Amino acid sequence: MTEKEVKRRKERKGNTDLFVSALKTTIPVFLGYIPLGMAFGFLLDGAGYHWIYAFLMSLLIYAGAGQFLAVALLAAGAGLTEFVIATLLLNLRHSFYGLSLLEKFSGVGKVKPYLIFALTDETYALLTTTEVPAGGSKSRFYLYIAALDHLYWITGSVLGAVLGSLLDLNLEGMAFVLTALFVVLTIEQYFNSSVRFPFIAAVGAGALSLILFSPDNMLLISIILGTLILMGREKLMQGNISANKGMRKPNAVAAQPVQVQDGSKEEN
Amino acid sequence: MNETLQMLVTIVVIALATFTTRVLPFLCFGSREPPAMLSTIEKNLPPMILLLLVIYCLKDVQFLAAPYGVPELFTIGVVAGLHFWKRNAMLSIFAGTGLYMAVVQFNVFSFL
Repeated sequence: MTEKEVKRRKERKGNTDLFVSALKTTIPVFLGYIPLGMAFGFLLDGAGYHWIYAFLMSLLIYAGAGQFLAVALLAAGAGLTEFVIATLLLNLRHSFYGLSLLEKFSGVGKVKPYLIFALTDETYALLTTTEVPAGGSKSRFYLYIAALDHLYWITGSVLGAVLGSLLDLNLEGMAFVLTALFVVLTIEQYFNSSVRFPFIAAVGAGALSLILFSPDNMLLISIILGTLILMGREKLMQGNISANKGMRKPNAVAAQPVQVQDGSKEEN
Repeated sequence: MNETLQMLVTIVVIALATFTTRVLPFLCFGSREPPAMLSTIEKNLPPMILLLLVIYCLKDVQFLAAPYGVPELFTIGVVAGLHFWKRNAMLSIFAGTGLYMAVVQFNVFSFL
């Protein structure tokens, strides 16, 4: 064996390990996306559409709640403008996902457009919580996770549309696997980060928007509310820090005049 | 307009709208340095959003009518307890899902 072959074989072995690791990571999403995708497939089939549309929608749109909404709008005979506005509003939360992934995605290379396209709630949750295995390539690992989740979703929805009416499985309650996944990932975030305030912000913003807004709007609104709470607190803390610095080091004040002003405003 | 064509156009339009929401932050901050505030947001958003996703999963639960969300809260309690105890993600997720399916399919909390 030449040196090149050894290297190549090692690389291939590394990639297989990375793929297996991604496969394990995505099992809960597999179990969640199959019944959820099937539910979407059932629905689209029930609205009188060929399964090929279930395939195309899951392949090209790839947004759980967005696709359910699309079926409802199709049934209501909505116009294109309504589709665009409803979809933008419903999926606006995904913009916030990107905001917290700017740095993580900065070095992933060619796969970046696909990773951005495939950024669902569940994939976001996995990417922000799972560590890349030691020695593995970040871009490959992320690609495997995103593509596997995408594949599960397509499989589920086609399965639902094709076999839906023939099967009589009682899958009631199985979608809870995604709730359980989010609970576990939240606890992992709690172990991994030293900050506690985001959890307080989430409970506050979540409870408030559940009470004040319709269930369908609550996720986007609570993310906006929570982000505002996080930013407000950050401003307050920065204000305090620079105000304290200002007492000891006058030049620190000169370097950050804006923040000092903000701080003093909030203290008044 | 031909029906098939109309459906294809609709799908492509929804797909573009969805992709727009996902690519927006990367377009805004791809070339220039994001503001300082954003680095804090970057760090704090994932824990907040994950907990919000848990709350979002409970959005359709009727807490004011029987069974008062007990099946969901009970199972989440078990999942969290298991996870704090063993810290085995697969165990917590699958035990929790199995438990929830049993609870709703056998209507365990019907006495409430």
